[in-house]
Amino acid sequence: MKERNTILVIDDEPEIRRLVSAALTEGGACVLQAKTAAEGLRVAAAENPDLFVLDLGLPDQAGIDVCRELRQWTSAPIVVLSARQAEAEKVALLQAGADDYVSKPFGMRELAARIEAQLRRARIPLRESPSVLKIGELTIDLPRRIVRRGSRMIRLTPTEWSILQTLAVNAGRPVTHQDLFNIVWGREFGSPSHYLRVYVTHLRRKIEVNPAEPRIIITEPGVGYRLEP
Amino acid sequence: MLALSTATLVSVRGEIEQSHAALTLLLVVLGGSAGGGRPLGYSLALSGFVVIDYFFQAPYGSLAVGKTLDWVVLVAFLASAFVATELLARARGEAETARKRTEEVASLSRLGSETLRHARADDALEALSALIRSTFSARWCTIRELPDSKNARRWTSAIAAEDPRVTGRMRELEERMTLAASADAVADVHRVALATSDGSVVIDSLVGEDASSRIEAFGLPLFVESRLAGMLIVGGSTQQPIAFAPPRRRFVATISYYAALGLERVRLAREAQDARELREANRAKDEVLATVSHDLRTPLTTIKLLAQAAAARGEAAGASIEEQVDRLADLVTNVLDLSRIRAGGVPLDVALNTAEDVIAAAVSRVQGVLRGRHIVTKVDLDQPALVARFDFVQTLRILVNLIDNALRYAPEDGSVEINAERNGAWVAITVADRGPGVRPEERSRIFDAFYRPRSEVPDAGRAGLGLSIARRLAELQEGTVEYSPRDGGGSLFTLRLPAVDLNSEKFIESSILEAFGT
Repeated sequence: MKERNTILVIDDEPEIRRLVSAALTEGGACVLQAKTAAEGLRVAAAENPDLFVLDLGLPDQAGIDVCRELRQWTSAPIVVLSARQAEAEKVALLQAGADDYVSKPFGMRELAARIEAQLRRARIPLRESPSVLKIGELTIDLPRRIVRRGSRMIRLTPTEWSILQTLAVNAGRPVTHQDLFNIVWGREFGSPSHYLRVYVTHLRRKIEVNPAEPRIIITEPGVGYRLEP
Repeated sequence: MLALSTATLVSVRGEIEQSHAALTLLLVVLGGSAGGGRPLGYSLALSGFVVIDYFFQAPYGSLAVGKTLDWVVLVAFLASAFVATELLARARGEAETARKRTEEVASLSRLGSETLRHARADDALEALSALIRSTFSARWCTIRELPDSKNARRWTSAIAAEDPRVTGRMRELEERMTLAASADAVADVHRVALATSDGSVVIDSLVGEDASSRIEAFGLPLFVESRLAGMLIVGGSTQQPIAFAPPRRRFVATISYYAALGLERVRLAREAQDARELREANRAKDEVLATVSHDLRTPLTTIKLLAQAAAARGEAAGASIEEQVDRLADLVTNVLDLSRIRAGGVPLDVALNTAEDVIAAAVSRVQGVLRGRHIVTKVDLDQPALVARFDFVQTLRILVNLIDNALRYAPEDGSVEINAERNGAWVAITVADRGPGVRPEERSRIFDAFYRPRSEVPDAGRAGLGLSIARRLAELQEGTVEYSPRDGGGSLFTLRLPAVDLNSEKFIESSILEAFGT
């Protein structure tokens, strides 16, 4: 019953546009293409695609502005192709409404995985989002605030729970340090938020099978964390 | 005056005594020596002696001395006149010396203010050379840098500068004096080169007393912190020599300091300018590198996508092309990083982080380049997490570079071990391999940019940047990266980062409260 997703690829590099489009089409998506930001916004308005692949180095408009414009009327996921390594730029992109990014030179598998994760997230309306996440042996029961590995209960502190909950609600999407601070400690004045990374380490030790090689909470260096569903 | 007084006195000779005449003539002598100095004073004294004897002592009109008492008068007159002349002359001499001193002080203070007043170091030297020239009433004055220094310059003030003979002689003396004065490597602030009246150039000392006092030119070597920085040369001509008596020389020694200061100021201004240009060149270079590395990533992406597509079709070359693309991308990142580090443009976000977080991120990042080797991480989960203050992204780069390096030297199917422990004020993360290790003579050099051990086979993918970048990034965060040989063979690289104790801080308190309270 899987429906065909419409994906708009906005990139001025013809080869990249062609190769990405071909791979996505092969993966079962309906792919639209645009060479410039202006064309991209026009096609987007006409076709209302399910997901955007947006290159940052467009000749006519800064990628981050395209993100903001799209976000004014659509909640479809935006996956950004970035040629720069600057983490500050990635954080800015996420805050401008992008959902994920890949850095050049990226591989098709990597990009396809990110797109797939975003589509999966987007297919389910927020109010119907699963209240119970299962990741391997691990069960995260959001309404009952319970975490279990198999049948064994894992005891979390309120802060650890709050972090896990925030990441779980955004599963598959990087959550910036700043967003985590705001959600977890937002109402607490003078919060010890600079311990965030220490709390995440403690959380991992409790929920990961091998905390030395985390599979559930992935670090996005310089950006934040992502829960891998 | 003498004749006038004599005539007057003779006309009233009958009514006065000879002592009156003697006293009056003494006045004339005093007046004369006050106005005309020693020679006039003495000659007036002698003339007075004769006048008294001839006109005012009987027998009048004859030089014969009649009475013994007359001798007393004559001798007393002469002695008084001589003593008075001598005293007056000395007083005049002292007054003259004092006046010269005052002049010197005044011109020194002018020198000082000229050196400081001008906004541009250049103008100051220009003014200084004009001032020195006029102080010595010289025809020309040159302050110059040593001809062997880069873009050596000169500042000249001269009368008749357009006369080729003057300029020719000036240049000639400049060269000869510079050569003579700089021949001796020892810094002697009293050294002076003199162009004597016979046209030869000799080296003399400012503290010496025996040199000729009238010279055509003198040249002073100018020292800054005992380094010969340039020359000050002041010249007259054979017709118009320069007075260069010993008292003058002390003054000369002092002005040389001002000239040296002026030269130093010019040098510093030039260095500041050079530094500014260098900084700008560096920034331009950095921008170019950033643009180039940015522009390189897009075609690399195309190649990588094509390689993956080829590999998917079963073409063997695909996988190795993809690997080479990744290495090239690494190189691009490294070159850009190195340039940023050198230009001081690495953005740092130093925060509390845990060793196991950054180790895990590093291990996950090198998964693609293991080539059959394993990574073993040892983190003791029964111990509290190791917390340190560092920038996560840059520390990740350090570890990836260290692990990448270890993987390169680890034997095939061998392993790279990563360990973390608290070590005094540090959290120490070690990366160890069982490769050949680093030979003692190369240990100090492996952290140099572009250095590769001599034993290594040439390898297009490696520029020898990884370790250099690792060390510099560690130092930026007040950490260190060090090499030591590993027990039992191989290499051990240790990254040290400033440890943070959470026990004393709010953290433990709030965690405990959370665990037991809510």
